Amino acid sequence: MKNSPIRTPLLSTEPMPFTSERYATGSQHSDSDNVRPPIGFWRFGWRSASGEKSVLFDQRAVAVNAGLLCCLSLVCVIYLSLGSVPVAPLAVLQVLLGNADSMTAFVVQELRLPRLAAACATGAAFALAGILMQTLARNRLATPGIIGIDNGATAFAVASVVGLGVSIAPPAMALAGATTAAVLTFGLSAGSGTQGYRFIIAGIGVGAVFGAVTQLMLARVAIDTANAAYPWTVGSLNARPAGAVQLLGVGLALGLAAALALARSLTLLRFKDATARGLGVNVRRRRLEVLLLSVALTGLAVAVAGPVGMVGLIGPEIARSLSSSRSVPIMAATLAGALVMVLADLAGRTLLAPIELPVGIVTSVVGGPWLLWILMRPQRSFT
Amino acid sequence: MVPGVATVVRRTRSRTSILLLLTALVAVSVVSLLVGAGSVGPWRVLALLSGSPDSEASFIVWELRAPRTLIGIMVGMALGVSGALLQAVARNPLAEPGLLGVSAGAAFAVALALVLGASAATLRISVAQLGALFGCVCVLSVARFRGVGNDPVRLVLAGAAFSGLLASLTSLILLYDQRAADEIRFWVIGSLSGRRLDDLVAVMPSMLLAALVIALIARPLAALALGERIASGLGHHPNLIRWLVVACVALLVGAATAIAGPIAFVGLVVPFVARAFAGPDIRRTLWFCLPIGPLMVLAADIISRVVVAPSELPLGVLTALCGAPVLVAVVRARRLPML
Repeated sequence: MKNSPIRTPLLSTEPMPFTSERYATGSQHSDSDNVRPPIGFWRFGWRSASGEKSVLFDQRAVAVNAGLLCCLSLVCVIYLSLGSVPVAPLAVLQVLLGNADSMTAFVVQELRLPRLAAACATGAAFALAGILMQTLARNRLATPGIIGIDNGATAFAVASVVGLGVSIAPPAMALAGATTAAVLTFGLSAGSGTQGYRFIIAGIGVGAVFGAVTQLMLARVAIDTANAAYPWTVGSLNARPAGAVQLLGVGLALGLAAALALARSLTLLRFKDATARGLGVNVRRRRLEVLLLSVALTGLAVAVAGPVGMVGLIGPEIARSLSSSRSVPIMAATLAGALVMVLADLAGRTLLAPIELPVGIVTSVVGGPWLLWILMRPQRSFT
Repeated sequence: MVPGVATVVRRTRSRTSILLLLTALVAVSVVSLLVGAGSVGPWRVLALLSGSPDSEASFIVWELRAPRTLIGIMVGMALGVSGALLQAVARNPLAEPGLLGVSAGAAFAVALALVLGASAATLRISVAQLGALFGCVCVLSVARFRGVGNDPVRLVLAGAAFSGLLASLTSLILLYDQRAADEIRFWVIGSLSGRRLDDLVAVMPSMLLAALVIALIARPLAALALGERIASGLGHHPNLIRWLVVACVALLVGAATAIAGPIAFVGLVVPFVARAFAGPDIRRTLWFCLPIGPLMVLAADIISRVVVAPSELPLGVLTALCGAPVLVAVVRARRLPML
């Protein structure tokens, strides 16, 4: 049975390639050219000083990620070309290449590009946080937006915006708020564990409290301040605090790297605790790391765009429906989140042209029925 | 038939607790007249009540605080009773008009009506009731789906999704129309301040109608708690009862929302406390809801006036602050009680 293809390798990786020395150590595999990869994988092997090395790529994951990336770039070009001053897509490409007249360059580079970057970064961060939290709770409905972390971050950030005697920058406050909400939710549901719906209801309760606090702060300030803060509380890319986007960019890069490094443990965390432990995962520690990562990403993203939590539900859903169930589709979820966010903001900017719809409203009008549909269809596995 | 000892004991106990609750309600109402955000303190009000002339205090007490107290009592009764009814018909201790999106439906309907140009108070009430009915029917039909109805927690999640959707649609409308946004900004949070007695008079007919229907369906509803088969065996019509209950909830929640704005969590906390007094029988629970609902709303309203005087907290914020812990407590209970 040597070299027989393995149909569903339990410990496959996606999208992080892993280096395997398995084939090199066995004496019967001395002829490395005969080693065939499992079905559905590409294998790249090479020799090094310490022996034979090889890397496996999941073909489907590569295809999905490439496809999503293509869609994202296409939508980005459309995003840059549409608006109150239409720019032809070719002109957009010329601007990006660096040769165009100054007016077009100004519109594209100074007005639309920063907003596009913010949309991509926030969408990616929300979706990444969403898929991490879903894997952690083994429940596809447990996204940071639903369990109240968005609301906590928003409440704290609104506090810093309307200035209740605190002048710390919104990102720091949003991080503090996200942490507070997460601690509350997990503390309150400590008895029943993070499984099942009770944990989510506790999160809904926590979110309701923070939502009430946000409303309270908005009701106490003057109407001009309240109006200025209003689009931001429903989620909008219009009122990006300066500096928050750069911070989010750095955080997203680090977070994505960390999530990819955790990819294998995440795949195993989907099993029962006992199984994961038996397969060599330090469950408690990994859980804590995943939770911290998710909370930090949510906080940073809320500081830029406000609570657009639905992206954290929709992005991973798209990624899961495209990918195989072998592993947690981290990269695909991140790309899909960015895609959804850019599309939603594009729709919000252009559909009712003189009025600009906040992106949070667009996503929740689309995502609300989707959530209901997930709840109403016959029960399936919920990871 | 001679009642047994246990029955007698229970009756006396529930009689004393009803009396205690009524006393507490009277006390809270008096405090609600005495205390306020303004400069008219308890002593001035007491002096006024004992006969000394004081036009400022008289205006504030009789024109501002008394209607507010009455409205608080009515809103508390309506929300508490509708919570108990909804929980009985959904057989779910977490079913609550605010959580399930009934209040959000009413708010959405009112926002829509305001944008379309309505501003008359009576129109607002019927529109809010229609919206509440829509929300009720939507959520309960979701609950009838396979799998969702059996799990209390999934129903709440569906309600949260539904009310989130309606809330974002409401904000969409408000973005569209600045005038409506200005008119609705304080209403949408839920508050008792600045409401006039006319509003109360306008909703009285629908409240009375709902009370009449409830009096008629209380017995069949109690039979329904034994199960659908037993209820039909006893000569009741389960589906008819359900629809009547839904209509009552829509009338009550629509009326309360039209006056005070969407106030969440009252319909959760009040039946929760009432069941602790009354046990599982829906008829007794409904009686206990009548004093407990106003008690909670008035207490929250008084707190909202004094905590940050001279300004006021919105009432919805306070009920959420004290309702969310109850929600968590219900969910955390080892065995979620099924109704």
